[in-house]
Amino acid sequence: MYALTGVTRTFRKHSGTIAAVQDIDLVIDDGEWLAIQGRTGHGKTTVLNLLGGLDRPTSGTIRFDDHDLTAMPESQITRIRATTIGFIFQTFNLIPTLTAAENIEAALIPLHIAAAERRERTAAALDDVGLLDRARHLPSELSGGQQQRLGIARALVKRPAVLLADEPTGNLDEDTRDEIITLLENLWHEHKLTLVLVTHDTALAYRAPRVGIMRNGRLSIRQDRAMT
Amino acid sequence: MFFVTYLRRELQHRLRQAVVIASGLAVGIGLVVTVTAASAGVRQAQAAVLKTLYGIGTDIVITTAPPAPPKPGSPGADRYQQTFTPGKKPRNVNELGLPPGLGLLDSSSVLKVARLGGVAAAAGGLILADTTLTIPSIAQEQSGHLPANATGATIPVDGVDPSHTGLGPFASVVIKSGRSFTVADAGRDVAVVDSGYAAASKLTAGSAIDIGGHAFTVIGIALQPQGGSPADAYIPLARAQALARFQASPDLDGKVDAIYVKAASAAAIPAVQDEVAALLPGATVTSSASLASAVSGSLASATTLAEDLGRWVAAAALVAAFALASLLTMAAVARRVREFGTLKALGWRSRRIVVQLLAESAMTGLAGAAAGVALGFGGAALVRALAPELSATVANNPGSAPPQNVSLGSGGIQRHIAQGALRTVPVHLTAPVTLTAIAVAVALAIAGGLIAGASGGWRAARLRPAEALGRIG
Repeated sequence: MYALTGVTRTFRKHSGTIAAVQDIDLVIDDGEWLAIQGRTGHGKTTVLNLLGGLDRPTSGTIRFDDHDLTAMPESQITRIRATTIGFIFQTFNLIPTLTAAENIEAALIPLHIAAAERRERTAAALDDVGLLDRARHLPSELSGGQQQRLGIARALVKRPAVLLADEPTGNLDEDTRDEIITLLENLWHEHKLTLVLVTHDTALAYRAPRVGIMRNGRLSIRQDRAMT
Repeated sequence: MFFVTYLRRELQHRLRQAVVIASGLAVGIGLVVTVTAASAGVRQAQAAVLKTLYGIGTDIVITTAPPAPPKPGSPGADRYQQTFTPGKKPRNVNELGLPPGLGLLDSSSVLKVARLGGVAAAAGGLILADTTLTIPSIAQEQSGHLPANATGATIPVDGVDPSHTGLGPFASVVIKSGRSFTVADAGRDVAVVDSGYAAASKLTAGSAIDIGGHAFTVIGIALQPQGGSPADAYIPLARAQALARFQASPDLDGKVDAIYVKAASAAAIPAVQDEVAALLPGATVTSSASLASAVSGSLASATTLAEDLGRWVAAAALVAAFALASLLTMAAVARRVREFGTLKALGWRSRRIVVQLLAESAMTGLAGAAAGVALGFGGAALVRALAPELSATVANNPGSAPPQNVSLGSGGIQRHIAQGALRTVPVHLTAPVTLTAIAVAVALAIAGGLIAGASGGWRAARLRPAEALGRIG
C-alpha cells in the first residue's frame, strides 16, 4: 500500500531549519495495522500528514499503491483523500455547527453521492458506532467518547482503504480510551483496513501487530509484522 | 441540500458576527442611498427651476440686452427714467413694458432661427411687466397722505404665440379651469391667468382683467410650477406687441424679446447655439446647461455639498464598511482554520470551501443591503424633513420679475427701472430614493460581502491542509 523512501520533512523556524522527519524508509502493506509511538514533538503527526497527503516531504518519495504522492498534483491528492483515506483526529475536529448526521454527511459530499444514498450510509455509519439515536445532536451535546465515535464514523462512512488515526484516545478518559481502541480494533478486522495509528501511549501502541518508534524525527520499527 | 444546510447553520451559529458585518455594510449603503437621494433631489430642484424658466421642451432661449442707457441729463436720458408729475387729481397709470435687462429682437429672427440646421421649432415671445400705479394729487403729495397704490404694483405678463404654445414658459402651464389659447385667439383680448394670482385677485374664467390699460377676458386658470416665479398672466403675442411700450416706442409691433428654440436632438444644442450666435450677433444665447451653471444661491451650495462632500463621505463610509467586513471575515476565517483543514482532509476541494465562504458573505451582504436600503429611506426622509428651504438665484435669465426702485422726491414720484436683473426663487428640497439607487446599493452591499468573502476565501484556499490542522510534531 505505502512505500516511503528516504522521506525527510523540514520546517523553517526563526531559530533555523528543523527536521521533523528524517530519512524514513518504510513499507506498509494492505490491511496492516501499524502503530507509531513516540513522545510529543518527535514527528509522529508529520509522518501521518505525509501518509495522508496533507503535507509533502522536503525530500524522498512516498508511493501509495501505484501513485507517487510526492509528484502528484494537489487536485489528485484531494481526490485520493476523498475516496480512499479516512482521518481520525485527537481533538475530533467535528464541525461545531453541524449535527452528528451532517458531520458524517460532510465526508460524502466530495464523492457526489445522491442525497438519499448519503442519508442511508450516514445512518448505517452512526449505527456502526452506536450513535444512531444522536443523529440530530450537535457535537457540543455529545460526550468526548461519543464525539470520537462520531469522528470514527465520519472516517469510515466513505469506505476507505486506509485509516489514519492521530492520537485517537489522547483526549479521552481511561474507560472511554479502551472503548475506542476496541472499536477501532474491531473495525480494522471487519473492514480489512490499513490502519496507521499514532500515539504517545505505549500500552495502546503495543495493541498493534507492528509498532514503530519515532525519536527525533527518525523511525525505528520495534515490533515488526507480528501478526495477531 | 447540504450546501444550503451548512450555509444556514453557519449563519445561525455566527449570527452576532454576521449582524456586525451586515450593520457595517448597512451604514455604508445607507449613506450612499441617502447622499444619492439628496443629490437627486438637488438635481430635481435645479431642473424644476430651469424648467419654469424655460418651459418643458425648450432647449435654447435667445434674448438680447437693451441699448446702453445714456448718462443722466444727456439727451434721451428721460426715456430710461419715467417721471410722473402730480396733477390736481390722483391719476391711475397702467403700463405694459419690458422688464429690465431685456432688449428687442425682430420677429423675423424667429423664422430665420427656425430655418437653421438642427432646429426642430422656434417661437417668439414677449416677456413683459404690467405696472399699475396711482399718481397722487398735488394736495395728497403735500399732505403726505398718498393713495394706496402710490408705490405701484407689477405683475409679470408673457405674450405667447398661440400657434406655438408648446415652447417657452407657457409649455409648463396646466389648465385648471377654462381653456388654453387656440390659434383663433391670436388677435383677441383674452388671457390665461396663474391660479395663485387668480385666487388673490378673485378672478375666474370669464372675469375681466386690466392689462396695459386694456380689459382682457380671462379664458383659463393655469396651474404652474411655482419654483421659477412664472408669469401671472399670459396674453396673445400680437396683443402684447400692440399694447406694450419700450422707451420711446408706442408699441412693439414686429418685435419680440425672447425666442424659444427646440433643438432636433440634445447633441445638436451646441451647434445650434453657435449658428444662432453667428446669425444674431450680440444676442444672448442661453441653453439649460449654461443657465444651470449660472444658478447661484443656497441651491448651488447644496448641489456642491451633495455632489462633492456628500459623495466623498459616502465613498469613505463605503470603503470603511468594506474594510470592516473584510477584516471581520478574515478574523472569522482565522478562527475557522481548523474547520477548513478538516474539510480538506475529508477531500473537500479548496474551491468548494471558498464558494461556501462566499455564499456566507453574500448572504451577509444581502442582509446589509436590505438594512442599508431601509436606513437610506430613513436618511432620505430625514433630509426631506430637516432640509432648510433653499433658494436659487439666476443671473440675467429671461422672464425675471422687474426689480424697481420707487422713490418720492420733490419732483413727484419717480420709478426707476433697474438695469440687470437677478431672480431668486425658493426651492423645496426633496430626496427621492430611486430604483436605480436601490439596485446600486444592493449590488454594492453584495459586492462588499463578496470582497470580504473572497479575501477570507483566498486565505482559506492558500492554507495547506497540514498547516490548517496544526503542525503538531
